[in-house]
Amino acid sequence: MTVRSKRSDLAAAALTLLLAWLVIYPIVIVAADAAHPSALRDFFTRPGEWAALWASIWISLVSVILAAAIGIPLAFLFEWFDFPGRKTLGALIALPVVLPPLVGVIAFLFLYGESGFIARAVQSLLHLQNAPWRLQGAVAILLVHAYSMYVYFYLFTRAGLAKLDVSMLEAAQALGADRRATLWRVIVPLLRPSLVGAAILTFMTALGSFSAPYIFGGGFRVMTTQIVATKLNGDLPLAMVETVALALVAVAGLAILRRTEGDDILVALGKGIAPRPRPIRRASVRWLAAGAGWGLAVLLLLPHLTLALVSLVPYGAWTTEVLPPVINFDNYRRLFSETERLRPLWNSLWMASASTAVAVVIALVGGWLVVRRRVALRRAIEALLALPWALPGTVFAIALAITFSVHAPLQLRFVLVGTAVILPLAYLVRALPLTGRGVLAAYRQLDPSLEEAAASLGAGRWRTLARVTLPQLRPGLAAGASLAFVAALGDIVASIVLYTYETRPVSIEILSSLRLAETGVAAAFGVVLMLVSAVVLGVGARR
Amino acid sequence: MSAFLQIQAIEKRWAHDVTIGPISLDIARGEILALLGPSGSGKTTMLRLLAGFETADGGRIAVASEDVTTVPPAQRRFGMVFQHYALFPHLDVGENVGFGLQGRGKGDEGRVEQKISEALALVDLAGYERRKVQELSGGQQQRVALARALAPEPRILLLDEPLSNLDPALRERTRHELREVIKRVGITTVFVTHEQEEAFDLGDRIAVLNQGRLEQSGAPDDLYEHPVNLFVATFVGRANVFRGKAARALGANGKGVLVVRPERLRFGAAGLPGVVRERRYIGAAAFFVVESDDQERFEVLAEPDAAKVGERVYVEATRVIAL
Repeated sequence: MTVRSKRSDLAAAALTLLLAWLVIYPIVIVAADAAHPSALRDFFTRPGEWAALWASIWISLVSVILAAAIGIPLAFLFEWFDFPGRKTLGALIALPVVLPPLVGVIAFLFLYGESGFIARAVQSLLHLQNAPWRLQGAVAILLVHAYSMYVYFYLFTRAGLAKLDVSMLEAAQALGADRRATLWRVIVPLLRPSLVGAAILTFMTALGSFSAPYIFGGGFRVMTTQIVATKLNGDLPLAMVETVALALVAVAGLAILRRTEGDDILVALGKGIAPRPRPIRRASVRWLAAGAGWGLAVLLLLPHLTLALVSLVPYGAWTTEVLPPVINFDNYRRLFSETERLRPLWNSLWMASASTAVAVVIALVGGWLVVRRRVALRRAIEALLALPWALPGTVFAIALAITFSVHAPLQLRFVLVGTAVILPLAYLVRALPLTGRGVLAAYRQLDPSLEEAAASLGAGRWRTLARVTLPQLRPGLAAGASLAFVAALGDIVASIVLYTYETRPVSIEILSSLRLAETGVAAAFGVVLMLVSAVVLGVGARR
Repeated sequence: MSAFLQIQAIEKRWAHDVTIGPISLDIARGEILALLGPSGSGKTTMLRLLAGFETADGGRIAVASEDVTTVPPAQRRFGMVFQHYALFPHLDVGENVGFGLQGRGKGDEGRVEQKISEALALVDLAGYERRKVQELSGGQQQRVALARALAPEPRILLLDEPLSNLDPALRERTRHELREVIKRVGITTVFVTHEQEEAFDLGDRIAVLNQGRLEQSGAPDDLYEHPVNLFVATFVGRANVFRGKAARALGANGKGVLVVRPERLRFGAAGLPGVVRERRYIGAAAFFVVESDDQERFEVLAEPDAAKVGERVYVEATRVIAL
C-alpha cells in the first residue's frame, strides 16, 4: 500500500468519525435515554400521543395523494401539449418549492385565514357579522401541503416524461395498443421510478412538516408539534420517546416506499428522444388550456403577492376594511433601522452562511475521498452524508438538544445548547445531504483525466483544485449550497427547539411578531426571506 | 545511441496477479517510440507509469540520468496528450495552452502570451486563442491538446491513443502532421496505440506489448520481416501461419512454424495445392482466400485477375519467416 492511499484512509476514518458524531451519535443518545420506564408508560397510555402519531401518518399519506392528484396531470399538460405561455408558466408553477415553508404558510394565512383577504371579501360581500370560516385543523394543513408539495410530483413526472423514448410509444401503437393501453402498460411502468421518488420526497417532507401544523393546527397535533410542545412543557423524557417514535415512522415509511421503487433498468433503457409537445389543435381548447394555466399561476402566486401587500401596511392601520387603507414602507424602515429588529436577520444570514460553508467543505472532502480515492469507507461516508435527509428535522433538533446540553468530554458531549454554535451545527446536519448529493454527483461526472492533465502541466494539488476541479464542480456545488443556505435561512424546525434570545433567527422573529399582532413586520420579514432565497437560488441554478 | 529516457525493469502489480513487466526499454533523444499492443496488454499502464499517474512496484525510470521514478507528475516535466484530450471546458483555447506556463514562473504576462501564440502557430491554429474549446472540431481539439502539452517545453512527450478519437478520413492526414510537429520540435516521444498502421507511420521504433510483457522492440521493417515469435508475427501485419506438411510444401526444412505475409505468396506451377474459396477485391490488388487440401485457409495478395473463385491453384512463397 502506498503512502498516498494510507493517508487518504486516515482522512476517511477521521471524516467518518466526525460525521458519525454529528448525525448518528445524538440519535443513539436519544434512543438510549428514551428507554425510560415512566416515559414509555406515559407514551403508551396517553391517548393524545397515539392521536398525534396517527395524525402524522395519515396527514402525510393524504398529502402524497393530493400532491400527486395536482402534480401529475400538470406535468402531462406541460410536457405533452403546447399552448401560449407554456414555457413561462412551466417554470412559474415550480416556484412554491423553492420558498421557505414558513413564508408560504404565513402568506397562506394572510390570504385564506379567517382575517385574510378572501375571508374579509366574503364577509363584506355577504354582510356577515363574523369571519365566514376559520382556517384551522387538518384541512388547513392539508391545503398548505398540497399547495407546496405538488411541485415534487410535477417536477419528477416531467423529468420522467422527458426521458421517455418516443419510439417506445410508437412501438406500443404499432403492436396494436390503444391510448389507454399505452398509458397503463407502457408509460406508467416507465414513470414508476419518478413517481415513487416524488412520493418518498412528499411523504418525508409532510412527515417532517412543522410550520403548517404549528400555525394552522390549533388543537390538532401532529408528532412534530407534539414533540416541541412536550419539550416546552419540560417533559424531556416523554419528548425523547416521541422523537424515537417519529424517527421509527420515518424509517419505516422510507423502507416501504423504497421497496416499490423497482429497478433502474427501466430508466436506463429509455435513452431515446422524448416526444415533442403536441400543439393543441382546436383553438377553443387551446385558449382554455392557456387560460386555465394562467389562472393557476395567479392562484399559486397570490399568497406571495398578498404577503408583499401586507408587508406595506403599517401597524394597526388595517382593521375591518376589505383593502388596506394605508400603504407605505414603514415596516421595512423599522426593520432596517432598529438594531434589535435587524439582529435576527443578521443571525440567520451568518448562521446559514457558516453552516453552508462547512457543509460544502465536508462534501468536497467526502466527494474526493469517495469518488477519487475510492477509500474503503466510501459507503459509510456516503450513507452518513445522506442520513439526515431520512429523518424529520425535529428528530435531529431534539437529539442535538439532548446530546449537547451535558458536559462530558470523555463521551464527546459538550454544552453547546445556549451558545451561538448549536444552531449552525443543527443547520449543518440538515445541509449535509444537500451539499453531499450535489458534490458527489458532480464529482462522478468529472473526467479524472482533467485533473491528471493539470498535474502533467505542472499544477500542484492546490492549483489543480482551484483552477480545474472547483470550476468543474461548480454547478453541482452551487446547486447544493444554495439549497442548503435557503433551508438554513428559513429554518424553523431546529430553530424553535434550540434558539436563544441572542441567536434568534428570522423565523422565530416572524412568530413573535405574529403573536404581537405585528402582521406587517412579520410579512416584511417574510418578503425579505423570500427575496434573499430567490436571489440565492437563482445564482445557484446558473450554469 | 545514448539513452535519454531509460526504463529499467519497471513493474506494476494489480490485484489478482495481473502484472505488468518487468519491462526495460531505452529511448534515444528525439526518438518516437510506439507502444503497440492489444487492449489489456499493459501499454496504457506503461504510459501512466511514465507520466507518474501510477507508481511502480519495482524498477526505475530515468530521464537524462536523473531518476524520476518517484517524482510526482506535476514535477516530472513530461507533457501528455490524453485520449479524449482532457481540454479544460471552462477555459478558452489560449487559457488551456497557457495553463502549464503559469505555475512554473516563466516570466511576465507578455512572455506567456507570446509562448501561447507560438505553440498555437506550431499546430497551425494561430489566432485561435479566444475560441471556446467546445466550438472546435475533433482534429482542432487534438491539436490544441498537443500545443498545450508542448507549450511548457517538457522533456518527454506522451500521447495516449492520439488519433483514436478522429474519424478515419482525418486520421492519416493528422498522423503526418503530428509526426511533422514532433520532429520539428525534436522532442523525445512515447505514444500508445493498438493500430499497427499508426505505429508504423508515426513511430521510429515500436515496442510490442502483450499480456504485460515486452515481446519485441525494433524498427517497423525489422518487426515486419524479423518477428521473434508468433505473437509479433501475427499482430504486426497480416500473416499466414503454416505448420507441418503445408509448411514443408512452401520450403520449410525443419519441424517449425512458417509465417508468410500474403504479398509474399503467389500463384505458380508448383508448391502448396489448394482451391480459391473467396476473392476480396481492394482496387489495386485482390486478396484470395485459398483452402489447402487439409482444410487450412490462408490469404494470397495478387493481381486482381490472378485467379478465379473455385479454381485449383498452386501457391509458392517468395520469402518466409521461419519460427
